[in-house]
Amino acid sequence: MPTLTIDGQSIEVPSGTNLIEASRQIGVDVPHYCYHPALSIAASCRMCQVELHQEGAPPRVVVACQTEAADGMTVSTDGADCKQARAATLEFLLANHPLDCPICDKAGECDLQNFSYWHGNAQGRFREPKREAIKRTSIGDHILLDQERCILCTRCTRFMDEYAKAPQLVVAGRGDRNVITTFPGEKISSNYEGNLADICPVGALTLEEFRFKSRVWDLTHQDSVCPSCDRGCSIRLETKRNRLLRVRPRENPNVNGHFMCDIGRFGLLESCNPEHRVSSLRQLDDSSNAPNAVDLARELLVTHAGKWLILASSRMTLEEAVVVRDAFAPHLAPDGLVFISAAEQPGDDILYTGKQAANESGLRLAGYRECTLGEVRERVAAAPDTALWSFDGDVAGQVLVQNRTRFAAIMDCWNSSHGQEHPDARPHDVDLFLPALLFSEKNGTWVNRDGVLQRLRAAQRAPVGTLSIAELFAAILDRPASSPGCPDRTHHSLGTLGLNRLPLSQIPATGIPIDSLRAEVAAS
Amino acid sequence: MEKYLSLHFERSTPLGLEEARAQGRYATAETVLRQKAPDEVIEEVKAANLRGRGGAWFPAGVKWSFMPKEPQGPSYLVVNADEGEPGTFKDRQLMEKNPHLLLEGILLASYAIRAHTAYLYIRGEYLASYRALVQAVKEAREARLLGPNLFGTDFHLEVVIHRGAGAYICGEETALLNSLEGRRGEPRPKPPFPAVYGAFGRPTTVNNVETLANVPFILERGARWFRDLGAPTAPGHLLFGLSGPVRRPGVYELPTGTTARELVEEHGGGLIGGKALKAFVPGGASTGFLPADALDVEMDPETLRERGTMLGTGGIIVIPDDVRIVDAARVFSRFFRHETCGQCSPCREGAAWSDRVLARFARGEGHRDDFDLIEDIARGSTRRTICVFPEAFAGPMLSAIRHFRDEFESGVAAPDNPTSVAHQEA
Repeated sequence: MPTLTIDGQSIEVPSGTNLIEASRQIGVDVPHYCYHPALSIAASCRMCQVELHQEGAPPRVVVACQTEAADGMTVSTDGADCKQARAATLEFLLANHPLDCPICDKAGECDLQNFSYWHGNAQGRFREPKREAIKRTSIGDHILLDQERCILCTRCTRFMDEYAKAPQLVVAGRGDRNVITTFPGEKISSNYEGNLADICPVGALTLEEFRFKSRVWDLTHQDSVCPSCDRGCSIRLETKRNRLLRVRPRENPNVNGHFMCDIGRFGLLESCNPEHRVSSLRQLDDSSNAPNAVDLARELLVTHAGKWLILASSRMTLEEAVVVRDAFAPHLAPDGLVFISAAEQPGDDILYTGKQAANESGLRLAGYRECTLGEVRERVAAAPDTALWSFDGDVAGQVLVQNRTRFAAIMDCWNSSHGQEHPDARPHDVDLFLPALLFSEKNGTWVNRDGVLQRLRAAQRAPVGTLSIAELFAAILDRPASSPGCPDRTHHSLGTLGLNRLPLSQIPATGIPIDSLRAEVAAS
Repeated sequence: MEKYLSLHFERSTPLGLEEARAQGRYATAETVLRQKAPDEVIEEVKAANLRGRGGAWFPAGVKWSFMPKEPQGPSYLVVNADEGEPGTFKDRQLMEKNPHLLLEGILLASYAIRAHTAYLYIRGEYLASYRALVQAVKEAREARLLGPNLFGTDFHLEVVIHRGAGAYICGEETALLNSLEGRRGEPRPKPPFPAVYGAFGRPTTVNNVETLANVPFILERGARWFRDLGAPTAPGHLLFGLSGPVRRPGVYELPTGTTARELVEEHGGGLIGGKALKAFVPGGASTGFLPADALDVEMDPETLRERGTMLGTGGIIVIPDDVRIVDAARVFSRFFRHETCGQCSPCREGAAWSDRVLARFARGEGHRDDFDLIEDIARGSTRRTICVFPEAFAGPMLSAIRHFRDEFESGVAAPDNPTSVAHQEA
């Protein structure tokens, strides 16, 4: 554990820590382009220069990314020499940069802009005509390349080589003819393309899906968790006027590191901006006199008392799972809480697991049992008066198609698979359809495959007429719902699971391992 | 003066193995391998103070001593035969004329650093050198001078010849290693140095051709003999290159410390057509220009460093007085702009930018503040990158301005010149 001094502050860091990371620990940002904590060191942009004083050596300017902290070092990140070196590097980088910020998607979150404000000169001295290169070209399913804006930091090529394991981007040419490019005539093909636009420090690699959609400062951000597989990557949902425009990974060493996959990133743009969505309650037989959904549901619960078989959805939050369990408890058939586990699709050994089971771990914790479609069918066949309540429109659709089972109720965003009502899912097979919320409209928690409890926050407002599972069943139980869409009762939910109680507000952004809550219970 | 490096330079074909052996080649290697320990070889070369002839003048014996004494896995010798510095063409003579001398040097160096494979990275354009070496390696292998159990000892060595693909930067030792491995020829950040993490991640020594050609003589005749040759701080003979409009351009073997005047006037026979000398480049393009009045400088690394330049590879380029220094500088800036690998931003952009500024001066479209700009490009890039390439492109332009500022002043656009850039902007 070397101890060093950075800008007058003494700090002890683990050995092997470079000077950028060591500075970060005392809140000092050393500007950099080519360095990325998840990639190998290139040391080529020369932006992160700092002054280094070491006993027995004359003071010198070094690149912080490549210099490991050592005992007795004194580092200055704002000395005259390194300021001059940084300003020079910026002047070089800007010499041929097109400065087309007004039409660049990156503007506002661009490190070339930021560092120029903080470390650059106000005036450029480059008189020559700027270098011309390919201005916009599609290099993959989602990525556009602008070789003029590129500063050749090679984060993208190293990302493709080292992380995506798809070495499809290279630097071609030499000197000032260097360009980032693909194999002639080929495009990149990877499940991790979207990250290229995130790691590109300038506007050279931008997303086709986000192109000219919004200035970044007009976006509203909300932290959430990706539902596309049971990895549960930490993500940030970025919306404008309630429409989801961009999804980006959040750094989380417990779950996904720095990145996320394209299945999640681009899939959500479709599923969270659905073209077809059911937003009104539908009843097959409207003879009931119940005035609202709560009374309707309460009446239904009693009508089928003792016969209920609940098909939960892996997109239900832990809180929803608990409140549903509690509301149905007096009325359930034996072994009445089940979920159909998602089929295993091929994963990719990086992040994507192939199993669409966002909160299956949470369902298990809450006492739901995994079962198969066949088992559901057999149980219905053996006891025809079984009342089925499904929280998963897709699963309900499959049951309906395959053996015409009658559902007492379905509560989901869609009547059947993916935004469109399934032709066979005729309303007369379902006594009551309750339109529910998208995951991006919910507050609550999910538990991923590795037992990490993470918080979702509503990024979009739900349309009028939709119902929150948590609110609906809290009302049935006469429990207070403290905020719209989310009774803030994770501390209650966790408590009923025999875990240490933890209010939502105390769950860290990187989540918390369920086991650590258990351990504290055991200890106390 | 007795020559030892350039004995066969007048030949038109490479010296074959039979003739080479008749002249004593491989006899030293045999004696050394049988009678000396590797560390004794290193000590002898250290004592001789043989300094690297690739241009950096780092002591070869010291470099060898960084290699592991008890290697866990393979160590490598890599021979830098990527001779690409403008004005430099000495290694080519050695390889084309006396390839077995180089092979004997390789044998001795490999033995000293405990390497059993030597990679010979040869400049792609050097086809004749390549052919001579392929033939020499074939002959040596057939004569059991390469391969297993050399001279009845358990030392074994294979030599692999690898041709470069036409990049000046691959003469930088770590770019060379990348290129050898099949990667882009870009210098590696250091540390780690090649002696720790070199070719294929293994301990590696990279030596220049001429450096290795000196080794057999040092071991044959002793460190003392060598130390008495030439300049005391950098002893030995050096293969000086002489090019430009002189009567007898070529490669001259002379002791280090010989004056540039002796080379140009005595050996080169002076300038052709009665031209006067305006300036000269002392040691390859990256060493920049010295004015004619510096002709009496002694050509050794220390003296030239005091003059603000370097001995480099010892390739002297003569600039006559009918050449504008701006044009001479532009030849180099265009070369360096073309050859920077471009990974470090200050070098990539700085080499190109300064070339464009010099081009404007050459067209008479310079600006008064361009003098500061060129200084700033040099300051912002030298000592600020992974390798020393910025020093290479900055040297010529800075020295040209320092010694011939008046010529640059005349390249500044006159304000009253209606066609000048300055006028249009004003």
